[in-house]
Amino acid sequence: MKDKAANISFSSGISRRSFLKSCTLAATALGLSEAMIPKLIEAAESAQRPTVIWLHFQECTGCTETLLRGSHPDIGRLILDIISLDYHETIMVPSGHQAEKSLHDSVAKNKGKFILVVEGAIPTADNGNYCKIAGRTAIDILEDIGPQAAAIIAIGTCASFGGIQAAHPNPTGAKGVQEIISGVPILNLPGCPPNPVTFLGTVLHFLTFKRLPNTDKLGRPLFAYGRRIHDHCERRAHFDEGRFAEEFGDFGHKNGYCLYKVGCKGPETFSNCPAARFNDVDVWPVSVGHGCIGCTEPNFWDSMTPFYERLPQVSIPGTGIVTDADSAGKKILGVAAAGAAIHAAVGIGKSVIKKG
Amino acid sequence: MNYEKTKVWGILLRLYHWSLVLSIIALVVTGFYINTPWTNTTLEGSVSFPMATMRYWHFLAGYLFTAAILIRIFLLFFGNRQERIWDFLPITSRNIKSLTTTLGYYSYISDEHDNRPGHNVLAGMSYLLTIVAAVFQLIAGFYLLFPEAATWQGVGNAIFGSQQEARFVHHLLMWYFILFGFVHVYIVIWNEMKSPEGLISSMINGLKFKS
Ligand code: HEM
Ligand code: SF4
Repeated sequence: MKDKAANISFSSGISRRSFLKSCTLAATALGLSEAMIPKLIEAAESAQRPTVIWLHFQECTGCTETLLRGSHPDIGRLILDIISLDYHETIMVPSGHQAEKSLHDSVAKNKGKFILVVEGAIPTADNGNYCKIAGRTAIDILEDIGPQAAAIIAIGTCASFGGIQAAHPNPTGAKGVQEIISGVPILNLPGCPPNPVTFLGTVLHFLTFKRLPNTDKLGRPLFAYGRRIHDHCERRAHFDEGRFAEEFGDFGHKNGYCLYKVGCKGPETFSNCPAARFNDVDVWPVSVGHGCIGCTEPNFWDSMTPFYERLPQVSIPGTGIVTDADSAGKKILGVAAAGAAIHAAVGIGKSVIKKG
Repeated sequence: MNYEKTKVWGILLRLYHWSLVLSIIALVVTGFYINTPWTNTTLEGSVSFPMATMRYWHFLAGYLFTAAILIRIFLLFFGNRQERIWDFLPITSRNIKSLTTTLGYYSYISDEHDNRPGHNVLAGMSYLLTIVAAVFQLIAGFYLLFPEAATWQGVGNAIFGSQQEARFVHHLLMWYFILFGFVHVYIVIWNEMKSPEGLISSMINGLKFKS
């Protein structure tokens, strides 16, 4: 038991059947062929168990909760089984000085070899004073530990892009990991929260192939973020056919029509939600009647609100008017039309005067 | 009166102009539909595909729009004298004078008309701005059309940040084109009435009259 993540508060150990099931699930999420599953299992069973240090900054712990307390306990436990989680504030037994000691010991021992997982954004305004752990600011801790890691996994939208904390006017100057650390491979797993399968897939990929999975231009693994929600949505046929819910609870909504007109952001969002789904009962927001809110995208919140409108609002400078793009456009066009009318009237007036 | 005809616009430029007009009208109509599909059927099992069709026409018109803009950019450098960018950039004293004359003329301050064969500099500048807007519009469009293609993803993310922000800019730029279309048509008609030189027909047959 000693090396089996002794710091962790609940014992792991899952049945062989659950173990194989979870590995297969991860292989499917990764898009690997059946032939690769034994390799994945072999890697998961091997004794290498990479050291993982998990740092929490400006966050709600939702990503951790989803991983550990969802109805996928096996996935959470499997992760704890195949990695050596040396530091994780939510679930570790030690506290205070002991906790700090295990962090520093582990960093010193595994320098250049451990995986750093960051959950939460990093406040940078006012010297980073808005988030402190053990007397040090988040940015200080990250700048110290980050460069010593073999790779960094930014879990959740906050650690990836700043998330809700970075919403306008971003009083704490919240930023994602990639805006602060360079020189270490960084993988973004945005989502509020990301699917546990995505994290498990990433870890198994790392164990099997000894490197992080391929990513898109935003550093998100293609196996989970390579496709748009909209292109895999079960309501897509209704979209193409022009069958929409006009408001919640109406005929279209009750009949499972497309949620585009009530603000679904599926057309702009990359994630595996429609394929991987959540909670063991195969649900995801759109399947239960709520549009996608676009939580895996950069500038989530500012660019995705209002959630029940298609596009963000426009504020017309100098007027205090905040409205949707079309009303703003119509107002400006109205001003232009009035201008043209005045211009034409002046012209006609002048020619009348000249003739007179 | 004795009118003298001069050849001003080449065939490519005229083709560009009307392709742009046609594509913008189609793009605005289908664009509005994509944003707020105003039809809504509850008929299941029908095969009318209104959204799929509107998007199809939007992309078709998008390619026409793109072709037109590429032709115009080519002509900015390799077109005839009136079509080239140097003819209306306010960098020569002749062109700066055109700008002030035109501003005075349009605001009824003076009756002096800039009698040049090509664009007056104010018009030329607004067309340049429109071409720049069009380039951003088509980059946003292709980024939305091919969200998974690495090249468009790289370009689009660098310029707009994300799909949603590109979509927002795409929508706002639509209003720029509507506004431009309105002002453009008004000023052309206004000019045609004040100093008839065949401005409108010149876009069809390429000829202007000297007055
Ligand atoms: C004057 C030029 C154009 C105008 C006015 C225009 C207008 C629009 C509008 C209003 C939308 C809806 C966005 C929203 O509010 O959600 C849209 C969507 C779109 N446009 Fe354009 N557009 C233009 C040019 C182009 C071009 C050149 C392309 C490239 C082929 C293009 C491709 C697209 C795509 C892919 C979408 C998203 C459709 C979807 O996925 O549902 N557009 N356009
Ligand atoms: S519900 Fe959302 S993701 Fe699904 S088809 Fe409609 S717009 Fe696309």
